[in-house]
Amino acid sequence: MRNTIVSLISIILGLIAGGLLMLFIGASPIEGYTYLFQGALKNISRIGDTLATATPLVFTGLAVAFAFRTGLFNIGAAGQMLIGGLCATAVALTFDLSRPILILVMILAGIVGGGLWAFIPGYFKARFNVHEVVSTIMMNWIAYWTVYYVVPGYFKGEFLETESRKLAEESTLRTPWLTEMFQGSYINLGLFFAVIAVIIIAFIINKTTLGFELKAVGFNRHAAEYAGMKVNRNIILSMLISGALAGLGGVALYTGNASSMQIGILPSQGYDGIAVALLGANSPIGVFFAALLFGILYSGTGFMNAMIEIPPELANTIIAIIIYFAATSVMIHRLLNKFRKTRSNANDVNGPVGKKGEA
Amino acid sequence: MEKRKFGLAMSLILASGTLLAACGGGDDKGTGTDNGKDAVKIGMVTDAGTIDDKSFNQNTWEGIKKAEEELGIQSKYLKPAGTTEAEYLKEMGNLYDAGYKFIVTPGFKFETAVFHAQDKYKDAKFVILDGNPHSGDFKPVVKDNTVAVFFAEHESGFLAGVAAALELKEGEAGFIGGMEIPAVQKFNWGFQQGVKYANENLGTSLTLKAENVVYQGSFDNVAAGGQIAAQMYDRGVDVIFTAAGGVGVGAINEAKTRGKAGEKVWIVGVDSDQYEDGKYDGDKSIILTSAMKKLDNVTLDIIQRELDGDFPGGETLVFDAKNDGIGLPAENPNLSDDTTTKVKEVFEKVKSGEIKVASEQGSLFK
Repeated sequence: MRNTIVSLISIILGLIAGGLLMLFIGASPIEGYTYLFQGALKNISRIGDTLATATPLVFTGLAVAFAFRTGLFNIGAAGQMLIGGLCATAVALTFDLSRPILILVMILAGIVGGGLWAFIPGYFKARFNVHEVVSTIMMNWIAYWTVYYVVPGYFKGEFLETESRKLAEESTLRTPWLTEMFQGSYINLGLFFAVIAVIIIAFIINKTTLGFELKAVGFNRHAAEYAGMKVNRNIILSMLISGALAGLGGVALYTGNASSMQIGILPSQGYDGIAVALLGANSPIGVFFAALLFGILYSGTGFMNAMIEIPPELANTIIAIIIYFAATSVMIHRLLNKFRKTRSNANDVNGPVGKKGEA
Repeated sequence: MEKRKFGLAMSLILASGTLLAACGGGDDKGTGTDNGKDAVKIGMVTDAGTIDDKSFNQNTWEGIKKAEEELGIQSKYLKPAGTTEAEYLKEMGNLYDAGYKFIVTPGFKFETAVFHAQDKYKDAKFVILDGNPHSGDFKPVVKDNTVAVFFAEHESGFLAGVAAALELKEGEAGFIGGMEIPAVQKFNWGFQQGVKYANENLGTSLTLKAENVVYQGSFDNVAAGGQIAAQMYDRGVDVIFTAAGGVGVGAINEAKTRGKAGEKVWIVGVDSDQYEDGKYDGDKSIILTSAMKKLDNVTLDIIQRELDGDFPGGETLVFDAKNDGIGLPAENPNLSDDTTTKVKEVFEKVKSGEIKVASEQGSLFK
């Protein structure tokens, strides 16, 4: 309840800030927001595009949120996406399997790729206490340059050095019936996988011993250790699952929304995942809805831009400002905590989020 | 305690609600900004890079802007979030839904997106520059609401080759290309033929060695462009023709550094007149001349034809010397008058068909 309210306040703050900027540049906020939401939701094909835009964000949001629960900051979702997407693309371009099996193998490849990319920082954290923020960011760049080398080297497109070959229609996550249902939108199976992932992660966090242990490590590492939990194992496991989720996000992005991999781009969805997780208060359901909101914002920008007289660069700034404020939920949490805790001198809960255990 | 917190939250929401309402109140009058309700709406989707990229996006946009001034159309460009087909299509859809039913797309990267768009938006018109719509199999399908535009890059490169040879008389030339795609290759082959023509017919001796014809492999690796140019200049090359976008910018920067140090090196620019980009030490420029593709003129021209009810739908247009779609800049401060006159003569010969420039590799380098 409290988390929901805090998130709603942040969203409203964000919309106000964005509206102020629109006013400042001489556009009408009411009109702007009308077009923004129309652009995202006006017809069935736009709704499909919005859902497709949100899909990778659900995965990266989940990835970041899951690691948060164990007190880990996974900033490397972008790199894990790249590797997950690269593995899935490689599978799709190399093996000639029947569609259901191929997609299953692609998903597994994405999970393994992303998981491996997060396992390494997790292992270093557990074994040598290397801070995961530093190591995951470094892994992002290793992933970036790995793709830069592998794609032109092994999966070069016909003319384009900067893109992999295009996947055949039947080896992408797109399906004809979904495309038809949403009138030519690029929505794809990734959305269903995202929903399944949300359910599974919610189950793991709330209903299993593993989830309990992970949260315990997040609350207080030393207490968890004292209680006999294998803290190091849990840290590695948490990163592994987080990375696998981000890897799946890569599969959804590169073999669903797009059908080829481009080099030299670190997917912005990786970092947006942090904002999604914060806004979603680190709960799987919250992440899902936060990702949908982000999907609406990103998807509606172009139409808003086409309808009101502002340059595209400013349209993007408006969206960025809304997101910036939407991610201030932590600040609002803290503010509320301060009011509440004026009498007791108890320390604020440490870590990035106010109440980690709350779902 | 729980209650107080809730109350605070509620009051915050209320407060923000009032603020939002206040925002809305003041600006209902700000809607009548668009000039001329009936003006034809021309939209453009940008390719990778920004609108001021000194290349495709900018030149095309300048053409549209010119049309806005001269023909009173209304224009708008959208910048996609990335360069995938889905993102291109999304922005085309946005322009279409906003009433921009004449959409210009600069670059071959739009080929598959335009292929789908021409079917999806049957009452809209599409112009694709430097590409042919296809479904991914490179078999061109130009529907009645689309026009594909190509340029005779080889003729442009040919003129640049002739001009470089005439101006330098003797020395060595080099070529830096971006990706090995037809548009860039044709510039290269034309340039080689131009140098050869001048050597055989106009008494120059500019040499071009195979090792000095290099494709970098991208259009945005500025640093690599600088390195390749440095290697060429160190090998004794005097003039480099760059057809490489951002890679060319790197080469220009390298040449400027050498120019400042007193070395005699030149660059031949590409696509638009790059003279300004090559300026150093005040009013000197490292740009000898530029092999232009007149994207702005062509864009303006097609918009004009649309307004006249003469849209060349379904056609694949080629702009070459004959219709002044390519050429060297009108002003070339670094070329002598003698060179300029002779190049003009050659241009006329290309125009009349007396000189034929091959668009195939034949026996040329790469």
